[in-house]
Amino acid sequence: MSMIPLASLGAGFSNEAIGSQAVFRAVLQALSHPGRTVAVEHDAQTPSAGHAASAAVLLALLDSDCTLWLSPRLAASDAGAWLRFHTGCTLVTDPAQARFVWVAQGDEWPALGSLASGTDIYPDQSATCVVDVLRATATTTDSEGAWHLRGPGIQEVAALQVEGLPDDFETHWAANHAVFPRGVDLLLATADHIVGLPRTARAARVVPALQEA
Amino acid sequence: MFQAFDNPGPDRPLRRAQWMALLARAPLGLLESALHEHATRPARWLRAPETGLMMVQGRAGGTGERFNLGEVTVTRCALRVADASDAAEATVGVAYVLGRSHRQVQLAALADALLQDPAQQPVLDAQLLEPIRTHLRNTQAERQARAASTKVDFFTVARESGTDNDEDTE
Repeated sequence: MSMIPLASLGAGFSNEAIGSQAVFRAVLQALSHPGRTVAVEHDAQTPSAGHAASAAVLLALLDSDCTLWLSPRLAASDAGAWLRFHTGCTLVTDPAQARFVWVAQGDEWPALGSLASGTDIYPDQSATCVVDVLRATATTTDSEGAWHLRGPGIQEVAALQVEGLPDDFETHWAANHAVFPRGVDLLLATADHIVGLPRTARAARVVPALQEA
Repeated sequence: MFQAFDNPGPDRPLRRAQWMALLARAPLGLLESALHEHATRPARWLRAPETGLMMVQGRAGGTGERFNLGEVTVTRCALRVADASDAAEATVGVAYVLGRSHRQVQLAALADALLQDPAQQPVLDAQLLEPIRTHLRNTQAERQARAASTKVDFFTVARESGTDNDEDTE
């Protein structure tokens, strides 16, 4: 790993306890209401690569017992050094060993099935993925191309419009949901908001109506 | 306590590890008096002072197996100090000190940041590091003198005749 000068790194939360608790609260909110966009408010000087919301979430969640895998673009930036300095986490090169995964916008996802999914006895020993997406907004159920989410925490159905998910996401997510109680949890992050997608949520895409020629 | 590695040697340049080792053992009063003019420099925390425990390991006689001696309270911080000439440039000073004094660790980190500037190094070496070296040397001399005053010499009285002097009888 190349050495990154300490002077180039930004500061963490100005008040570690209160800052990380506020972000932790946002993560709880996002995971208990899948599909709802939750604002992440923080005062950390996040790295230039990757979204600020995902950096703040990882800054709040990681500690020295955690392993983190970064997608290629993040691994080449100072994001890893920043998180290592502030949280003491371990960076790993194999996504299967990571308890936290951070994928930059546009980078290829590691296969969800290859990530740590816990065991039936310890389903908590699974990976949490923070994925940067271009846009994620709650929308109405009749809008085209929206994801329909069902599951615990959702009254009937929640509609979510996301830009930046891979094309085969639906099949991978269905496979992830099928191995419940095992499976990974997902946090979609825009620049300042997060959307939780826990393993309990089912996602189906509304097929866009065929365009009239 | 003054250690052999605290002497920079006649031509050897002062290395960062050496001054950090000195700053870690510097008393607060010395830091305050030597750094009072720099203490107002604009600075931002990169990592605010935090106090925790560290396990200290020892070796019996310096060579035996490693064992855990006990935990000590350590306070650490990282301070980003803006450059005097160029505000965009910044140096990061890092300090670890024993105990839980936030002020002491802040001043030690400030001194570390200032010492990384080659232009300021000779002045600070004379104003700050030399008094620390003298202080540590005096502390060591005091302790040695205290220990020396309790020294006891044991004499073995040669026996004139004993039971196990078989060699002599032959």
